[in-house]
Amino acid sequence: MGDNTILQVNQLSAGYDTKAGFVKAVDDVSFSLKKGAFLGIAGESGCGKSTLAYAIMNLLRDNGLIQSGSVSLNEAEISKLNRFKMKKIRWVDLSMVFQSAMNALNPVLKIGEQLTDAMHAHKTITRKDAERRARDVLELVDIKGDRYDSYPHQLSGGMKQRVMIAMALILQPDLIIMDEPTTALDVVVQRTIIEKIQELQRSFDFSIIFITHDLSLLVEISDQLAIMYAGRIVESGSSSEVFNNPLHPYTVGLMSAFPALTGPIRRMEGIEGKPPDLLNPPVGCRFAPRCKKAIPICSKEYPSRFNRSDAHYVNCHLFNETEGR
Amino acid sequence: MTDRIVEMKGVNKHFPLKTFGRYGEVVHAMDDVSISVNRGRIMAIVGESGSGKTTTANVISRLYTETAGQVLFEGKRLPQKMPRTEELEYRKRVQMIFQDPFSSLNPTHTIVNILSRPFVIHKLAKGKKALRKKVSDLLVQVGLEPPGQFLDKFPHELSGGQRQRVNVARTFAVNPELVLADEPSSMLDVSIRMSIMNMMLDFKDKEGITYLYITHDLAGARYMSSEIAVMYAGMIMETGDTETVIGHTFHPYTKLLKSAAPSPEKGLKRKKLTTKGDIPSLVNPPGGCRFHPRCPFVMEKCRSEVPAMKQVGQNHYARCFLEGGTL
Repeated sequence: MGDNTILQVNQLSAGYDTKAGFVKAVDDVSFSLKKGAFLGIAGESGCGKSTLAYAIMNLLRDNGLIQSGSVSLNEAEISKLNRFKMKKIRWVDLSMVFQSAMNALNPVLKIGEQLTDAMHAHKTITRKDAERRARDVLELVDIKGDRYDSYPHQLSGGMKQRVMIAMALILQPDLIIMDEPTTALDVVVQRTIIEKIQELQRSFDFSIIFITHDLSLLVEISDQLAIMYAGRIVESGSSSEVFNNPLHPYTVGLMSAFPALTGPIRRMEGIEGKPPDLLNPPVGCRFAPRCKKAIPICSKEYPSRFNRSDAHYVNCHLFNETEGR
Repeated sequence: MTDRIVEMKGVNKHFPLKTFGRYGEVVHAMDDVSISVNRGRIMAIVGESGSGKTTTANVISRLYTETAGQVLFEGKRLPQKMPRTEELEYRKRVQMIFQDPFSSLNPTHTIVNILSRPFVIHKLAKGKKALRKKVSDLLVQVGLEPPGQFLDKFPHELSGGQRQRVNVARTFAVNPELVLADEPSSMLDVSIRMSIMNMMLDFKDKEGITYLYITHDLAGARYMSSEIAVMYAGMIMETGDTETVIGHTFHPYTKLLKSAAPSPEKGLKRKKLTTKGDIPSLVNPPGGCRFHPRCPFVMEKCRSEVPAMKQVGQNHYARCFLEGGTL
C-alpha cells in the first residue's frame, strides 16, 4: 500500500437489525482510495451503496450497525471511534453530500448561518472570519455572495445542491462522499454540477466517492469504478477497463440498460427480476437467480475473486471456470 | 392523406395565479404549441422540468382545457366541455400512464380491484368471475405471471417495476388508441427501465397503438420514438423526425440537451457546457425567444421578437433566427 492511500476499507460488513433478523446491506466490502482519486460506486436501489457511505462516515444510527471489518482514514482506524471522537474528525477530515438537497438543508435557517455553524462547531473562529470563509466557498460553487442571507426555499434545486457541496468543502476535508448528488436534477443542471465538482477537485485535490445508479454518467466522470450488487462489490477496476471490457454479467446488463444518442438503434434488454432480499440472501452468487449465463456451481458457492489485471477484478464463476481449463 | 389521430394548433394554456397580490398574472405553461401525431407512431416530447410537457399531455387528455387554440382528435375539434357519454368514450380511446408507480395505485385496493375498474366503468365485463378472468388475461399480457399470484395482492406488496406493469395494464385494459405516457420509466431502477420501454414498444407493434411519450431523457426518446418535439419554457423549440433532430440538431437548446446527456464514450474529450443559467420564470417569461438569456448565439433580434417556426429540412422545423443552425 503506497503512502498516499487515504481511505482503506477492510472486509466491512454493516446492516440493520430488524424484528425479522439482521439485514446485511453491506457484506464483506474492501477497497482503498488514493489521494485525489475519483471512485464511482454503481448499483440499483437496495444494493447497499448508501449504507456503505453511512458506514464509512460512521453515521449508522438506531438499528444500523457495523458488524465487522474496519475503515481507516489516513491510516487511523475510524470505524471504532466513539461518537465524540468521531464528531471531531467528521466534516474536518471527511464530509458528505447527501442525496436530496431539498431536505438536507434546514428550512428555517439562512444558508449563511448553516455554513458558519459547521465552522463554529469544529474550530475556534471569529464570526467575521467564518462569514468571510462562507462567502468565499459560496463563490467557489458559483453562488453570488448576496445569497448568503437567503433561505433554502428561495433557491432552485441546483443551487441548493451547490450549497450542499459548498458545505462539504468548507473545512477542506480530504475525502468527500457524494450520495446521488445529482439524481433529482435536470440533465443540464446535473451537467453543470458535475463540471463544478471536477473543477473543484482539480484545484483542491480532495478524494471523492461518488455514489449513483447512473452507470453511464459514472463511467464518464470517475477514474475507478466499483459495481455493487446485493451488498457486495462484484466487479471493480479503472473506469475505462470496466467500460471497454465489462466482465460480470450484471455489469454487462447495466451497461446495456442505457439507450445511446449515437450509433444504430438496437433493441436493448434490461435485467429481468429484482435484487434478492438481503434478510435471506441466496447461497452462492447473489446474482445467479437473474443471471442468464448461470451455471450449476453459481447457486452453490460464492465465487472467489478473479483478477483480470492489477486493478480490475470480478467475482464470477464464469471466469474461474475458463481460467481453470 | 396521412392519418392524424391528434393535432394541436397554436394551443396556449395559462394558469391564473391565486397568490394574494398577484391576481391577474398568469403562468404561461404552454404557448403556441402545435403538434400532430400520426396513427401508429410514437411521438416524444422532450424537455426539462417546467417546460410544459406534462401540461401538453393533460390538455390532450382533457384534464385541462386549452386557453386558446384548437385541439383536434381525428380531425374533429374537441369542445371545452364534453357531454358525459362522449367524454367516457373519449377517455376509453385516450389513456394515460403516469410517472409515479407508487402514488398512482390506490394502496387500500387489491390488484384485481384496481384492474377491474376500467372494465366496470366502460361496461366491458360483468360479474366477479368474468372480471377475474379479464384481469388475469391482462396480467399475463404485461408479464405478471402467474396471475393468480398477483390478483389478491396490495400495491405495497409489489416492487416498483411490478407496480408500473400494473399501471400499464390498467391503461391497456380498455384497448385505447392513443396512450399519453408521462415519464413512465423515469422513477424505475435502471435494470427494469428497459423492460417497461420494450413492453410499450411490443404493445405498439401488436395493437397498433399511438403514443405520446413524454420524457426528459433524449436518449430514451430516441430509442422509443419516430418523431420528436423539444420543449422549452412552454414552447416547442424544435420538432421533426427523431433521427434528423438528434443527428442534425438545429436549435441551440436541443444542442445543449444533447451535450448535457451522459455518454461514456466521450470521456475526457467532452467539451464544457457553454450555457449557464436556469429555466426562466413562466409568470414573466423573457420577451422574444424564451431561450435567449441562456443562448450562446444570442442576437439583438432574439431579445425583442419571438421567432416563428421555420422549416430547416425535410420534416424538420425549428424556432430560431439562426440561418445555418449551430453546426
